[in-house]
Amino acid sequence: MATLELSSVRKSFGATNVIHGIDLAIAHGEFCVFVGPSGCGKSTLLRMIAGLESVSGGEVRIDGKRVNELGASERGLAMVFQSYALYPHMSVRKNLSFGLENVRMPQAEIDRRVAEAARMLRLEPYLERRPGALSGGQRQRVAIGRAVVREPKIFLFDEPLSNLDAELRVRMRAELGALHERIGNTMIYVTHDQVEAMTLADRIAVLRDGRCEQFAAPLELYNAPANEFVAGFIGSPRMNFLKGTLAAAGAGDASVALAVGGEVHATGLTAAGAKRPTAGEPVTLGVRPEHLQLVAPGAGQADMKVDLTEQLGGESYIYGSLAEGATLVVRLAGQTRIERGQSVGVDFAGSSSLHLFDGEGKALARRTA
Amino acid sequence: MTPASSPRSAGYWRLRRWIDNLAFAAVLVVLLAPVLFVFFWVVSLSLKFDIDNTAYPPIFVPPTPTLDNFRRLFADTPFALYFWNSLLVSGGATLAALLLGVPAGYGIAKSKAHGLAVLMLISRMTPGLSYLIPLFTLFQILGLLGTLWPIAITHLVITLPIVVYVMIGYFETLPPELEEAARIDGCSVWQAFRYVALPLARPGIVVGAILSFIYSWNNFVFGAVFAGRTTRTMPVAVYNMLTFEQFAWGPLAAAAIVVMLPVLFLTVLIQREIVGGLTAGGVKGA
Repeated sequence: MATLELSSVRKSFGATNVIHGIDLAIAHGEFCVFVGPSGCGKSTLLRMIAGLESVSGGEVRIDGKRVNELGASERGLAMVFQSYALYPHMSVRKNLSFGLENVRMPQAEIDRRVAEAARMLRLEPYLERRPGALSGGQRQRVAIGRAVVREPKIFLFDEPLSNLDAELRVRMRAELGALHERIGNTMIYVTHDQVEAMTLADRIAVLRDGRCEQFAAPLELYNAPANEFVAGFIGSPRMNFLKGTLAAAGAGDASVALAVGGEVHATGLTAAGAKRPTAGEPVTLGVRPEHLQLVAPGAGQADMKVDLTEQLGGESYIYGSLAEGATLVVRLAGQTRIERGQSVGVDFAGSSSLHLFDGEGKALARRTA
Repeated sequence: MTPASSPRSAGYWRLRRWIDNLAFAAVLVVLLAPVLFVFFWVVSLSLKFDIDNTAYPPIFVPPTPTLDNFRRLFADTPFALYFWNSLLVSGGATLAALLLGVPAGYGIAKSKAHGLAVLMLISRMTPGLSYLIPLFTLFQILGLLGTLWPIAITHLVITLPIVVYVMIGYFETLPPELEEAARIDGCSVWQAFRYVALPLARPGIVVGAILSFIYSWNNFVFGAVFAGRTTRTMPVAVYNMLTFEQFAWGPLAAAAIVVMLPVLFLTVLIQREIVGGLTAGGVKGA
C-alpha cells in the first residue's frame, strides 16, 4: 500500500499546456477516480503517474519520495490499459508471469502468485491460451490479473471497461469494487463514465482542461459541487441551470429574478464559498431534475411547455421549454400522465435542493436535501 | 404497374461475369507475356542440345530434353564455387543488415525520426559506380581485395536500407501500449524490444531478410568491380561466361536457371509470410 501526492504537477507538449498544475493527495488504500470530459488531461495525468510521460513541472511523490526521474519500470506500479495491451505472442500464464520474471522472482513464488490470481479472476481454464483466443471480458480479466500478480504499490486503470458491452461493464465494475475491497491497495482509475466514478470511488477528482475542479467523495460532489461545471458533470440527467440576477440576499435567504421571468425566493441557504452574495449580481440557479416539483400552471415560479416525456417505468423524465429558449428537465418518480404540448407550472422555491452560482460559475450558496 | 427497370435473368449475369473474367485474363496475358516468354525461353534453352538453339523455325519445347547443359556448367566451370561465394556474400550481407537494421528500424519508428530514414535511402539512390573506385582503393590499402569481404561489405548498401525500411513499417504498426505495458512490467527499453517488439515483428524480419537476400543475390555491379577469379558471385560468373565462351547458349541458360532458382523459391516463401499477422488479440479489435 502506498500514498501518492501530486504537487503543482504540470505537463506541456511543446508550447501546449495540457496539465496546468494539479495538487492531489491520495491516501493509503484509497480508490480514487479521475473523471472528466474527453481531452481534459485525465489519461495524461495517469500516464505521468505511471512514468510513461515525463513531468514538465511540479512533483509526483509515492510514499513521500519524489519519483519524477524514475522510469516506469522502477516505480513499482501496475497499469491496466484501455486496450488491455496483452502480449499477443505469449500465453495467458506467460502474460501474467512476465513482469515477475523480469524482476527475477523465484519460480515457486511466481507460480504461487499466478495460480492465486488465476483463481481469483477465474482464469484457470485459459492459462495456456493466447490472448487472441479469449473473449473481451476474459482479456480484461487477464489485464487485471497481470496487474494483480505484481502486488504493486498502486494500481492504475486507464478506462479499463470502455471496450466492454454494457452488461459486462456492469459486472466487471462490481468485480473491480470487490477486488479493491479484498486486496485493499491504492487504486487510481480514469474514466469518463460518471456512473463508474460514483459507484467505485472513495474520492473523485473532476478534471477539466488540465485543472482539477473538485476532489471530494462522490456524494459530496453531488450534494455540494464547488462550481457549475462539477454540478453539471455529475448527475444524470444533468442539473438544470437558469440565468438570473440576485434581487436580494440575506444571511440565509436570497431572491433570484430569473431571466425567463418570475422570481424565486429561497430560504434555508448556507454559504458555499468565502464570497458573500451581493444584490444585483448575475447568478445562475441550479436545481437537479429530481428536486423540481411540477404544479398547476401559474402556481409555481415559472410555466413550461412540455416537449417530450420519457417513461422508464420506474421513473419519468419531463423535458420542457421556458421562455427565451431556456429548457428544463424534471424527474418524477413512477409513471406520469403528462403529455407533450401540455403546460405545467414549475416550483423552484419549494425544491429541497438549490444551488446558486456566481457569474464565473463558482458556488455561492446552497440548500441541500 | 411497370417496374422501374426490368430485372436481368440469372443467365445474363453469369455470361457477364464470364466475359469479365475472360477480359481480365486477356489483359494479364498481354502484360505478363514479355516476362513469361523470356522465362520460358531460358528454361527451353537450358534443356536443349546446342544444335536446336539456333534452329529455324525455333524449337520451343525440346523433343528430347537433356540435362547436359547443367552437367557441363558444373564440370567445365567452378560454378559450385561461385554459388557458394554468392551464398556467403548475400547471406553475410543479409545477416549483418538484420543485426544492424532491425534495431535501427525500431529506433527510427519509435522516435519518429523519418529524416534518418530518408538519409538511409540516399546511399541507395547514389549510383554505385560513383563511389566504387574510391572504395576499390580503400579495400586495396586494407589488403582485402581478392577476398569476399569487399563484396559482402558493399552489399550492405543494398541490404541495410531494405531491412530498415521494412522494419520501420512493421514497428510502426505495433501498438505502443504493448511496449508501455512491458515497461510498466519492469522491462528496460532493450528488454521491451527483445521480449515484446522483436517477437511480434518476426514476419517483418522474414520479409526484410528475404527481400534483401534477393536484391543482394542478383546484384552485379559490386561483384563485377571487386571480384577476382575465385571470388566471383553468380551474376558476375554468368556475365563472364557470355564473354569467354561466346554463344554457349545452353550452359548460359542453365547458369541463369541456377541463379534464378533460390530467388524463385524465396519469392514463393515470402508471399505466405507477408499475409501472416502476429498481433491478433493483443489489443482490442486487432
